[in-house]
Formats: sequence, C-alpha cells, structure tokens
Amino acid sequence: MSKWKIALTLGLVCFVLTIGISVQLKTVDDSNSTVSQTLTNNELRDQVLKFKEKYDKATVELEQSEKKLEEIRLQSTQNDSTAINKEEEIKLDNTLLGLTDVTGNGIVLTLSDNGSVRKSNIGALDNIENYLVHAIDLLEVVNVLKNAGAEAISINDQRITNFTDIYCAGNVIQVNGQKIGSPLEIKAIGSPELLYGSLKIPGGYVQLLEDTGVIVNIRKEENITIRKYDGIIKSQYLRNVN
Amino acid sequence: MIFIAIILGCVIGAVVGNYAPLISYTYSGYLAIAIIAALDSVFGGINQSLQKKFDMAIFLSGFFGNAILAILLAYLGQRLNVDIYLVAIFVFVTRMFNNLAGIRRYYLEKIREKTHKKSEERVNSTK
Repeated sequence: MSKWKIALTLGLVCFVLTIGISVQLKTVDDSNSTVSQTLTNNELRDQVLKFKEKYDKATVELEQSEKKLEEIRLQSTQNDSTAINKEEEIKLDNTLLGLTDVTGNGIVLTLSDNGSVRKSNIGALDNIENYLVHAIDLLEVVNVLKNAGAEAISINDQRITNFTDIYCAGNVIQVNGQKIGSPLEIKAIGSPELLYGSLKIPGGYVQLLEDTGVIVNIRKEENITIRKYDGIIKSQYLRNVN
Repeated sequence: MIFIAIILGCVIGAVVGNYAPLISYTYSGYLAIAIIAALDSVFGGINQSLQKKFDMAIFLSGFFGNAILAILLAYLGQRLNVDIYLVAIFVFVTRMFNNLAGIRRYYLEKIREKTHKKSEERVNSTK
C-alpha cells in the first residue's frame, strides 16, 4: 500500500467528516438550543423543535392541497355555466373573507418604536411608554383605515379579517395569535388619497402618535400585495336563521 | 504527509460544509452518531497507517459501515424506546481513546529512540 494512497483516502474521508460536522454544527446553532443540565429539559426541547418542524411541513402541505383543490374546481366547472357562477361567488367570498392574496393601490404606514430614547435623555415628567407602539395604537389606526374604506389591511403580513384580534402580549403585540413587533408595517388597499388624508387629519390619532414620539412614516403606493390569512376559520356555534 | 492530507481535507470540508444546506433537526441526532462513528474510523485509520497495518478495504468499509450501522441502531433504539445510541457513542469513544493511545505511544517511542541515539552518540564522541 503506497503512502500516497493512504494519505488520499484519509484526506477524502476527513473531507466528508468535516462536511458532516459543520452541517451538524450549523443545524444545532440554527435550532439555537443550549444544552441543558437535565435530561427531561433536553427531551422536551427536542420534542418542541420536532413539532415545530412538523407544523412547518403541514403548512406547506396545506398550501399545496389548496392549490390542487383550486385546480380541480376549475376543471370540474369548465363546461357548466351555473357552476362557473358558483365558483366565482366562492372566489369573491374568499377574497372578502381575506383568504386570498390581494393586490391594489393603497398606502403603507410604518410605525416604529423611537429607538433614540433612553431613560437618561427623556424629561423627568416624560414617560418612555409614549415612545413605543402599543396594541391599542394599532387598533385605533386600523379603525381609522376601515373608516376610510380600506378593503384589505395587514399588519406585518398578518391579514386583518373578521376574526382578527389585536392584543398586547408583553413585549410584543399579538395579531391573529402571531407575535409581531416594531417596526410595524401596516398595508391597506383602498383609495390612496382617502386613506392618506384620513390618517393625516389634524388632531387625528396618527398625529397624536407622532407628537408623543413614535416614528411614523406614511406613503401612497401602487400595487401593494397583501398576503392572505393563513389560519383556519372555524364556526361551531354559528347557524343560519331560517 | 498523511497529516497534511488530513488537514487539507478538514479545511476544504469545513469550507464546503459552510455552504451546505441545513438538515432537519429530526435527523441531526442521527448525523451526530454517524459523525462519532466516522471520527472513530479516522483515528483508527491513522493508528493503523502508523503501525504499517493500513488496509484500504477494512478502513473504507469500517468508515461507511460503522456510520450506517450506528444510525440504524439509533433508529431502532428510538423505535423501541431504548437509548441504544448511548451505547454506540460509548463504544466509539472508547475505541477512539484506544486509537489515540496507539498514536501517542508510536510518537513517544519515536522521540525516545531519537534521544537515546543522541545520548549514545554523545557517549561515543566523548570516548
């Protein structure tokens, strides 16, 4: 056995090995797990991570099957005028419910916490809370947008539907049960002038926010895309009145 | 020369691995065991090449065979709810230490021989 061959084999094997090690290191880093002292903690963390992975996979699958369903619906209604009408009705209903991605002209409003404020540089009577965006601010702004005729609204890609809750969850804000934080990008589709004007109204809520110290940025935009609501709408107690 | 090849392989592997895609967390446990098995094989290979007993077929079959067997056993253990992977790690790490001991002994003896020769030469020159 020549020494060259041995060296080459060992080198190649080490090559494979280090690829494996670095992939493993990256994976462990990515799951940002710190090795815990107790075995049970480790196991529980393991399970949480695995379930998270399963959830992600299930979401992808759901999206795919929804697409398939759409295709099948299209095929089955191709030569039937009443069915086509029904299909269009379903589409419209889904759009109104917020179950489809929509696009159109409107405004993009960004609210962010004022990062330049420190305990040391605000006045003694000032409250640092004023410089943060709160859940109640989002509610007010969404209300203003709805009043101005916004047809679709999303906050950080969380669609505002009939069932959306905007809730304070400690350091973050919960929308549709998902945690979001500053900067908050609120997209709204509707008449850009109307939305812009209603937000900019003197003495309005947005001006109040600006005055208290929150960083506000409003701009009119064309062809905004608003993502669909990707949760499930359930009805358990609801029934039609005959 | 063998060590140059190993270091070169490690460096290139680390660079390539840096750009490799992540694997799913579910499988990272199996990869970890495969890594331990492969590491054991590499140390075994170095040890054997130092003892001039290196056999390519044994080395390669051990490298891949051990890794795959370890993964299979770990999987079986998970299905049976027995932590077989702990035993696999124990065995591989024990062997790793044995191989490291072999490598250490080889170099220690080499150094001793050298110093012995030198002292002998010194004795001869003074005579």
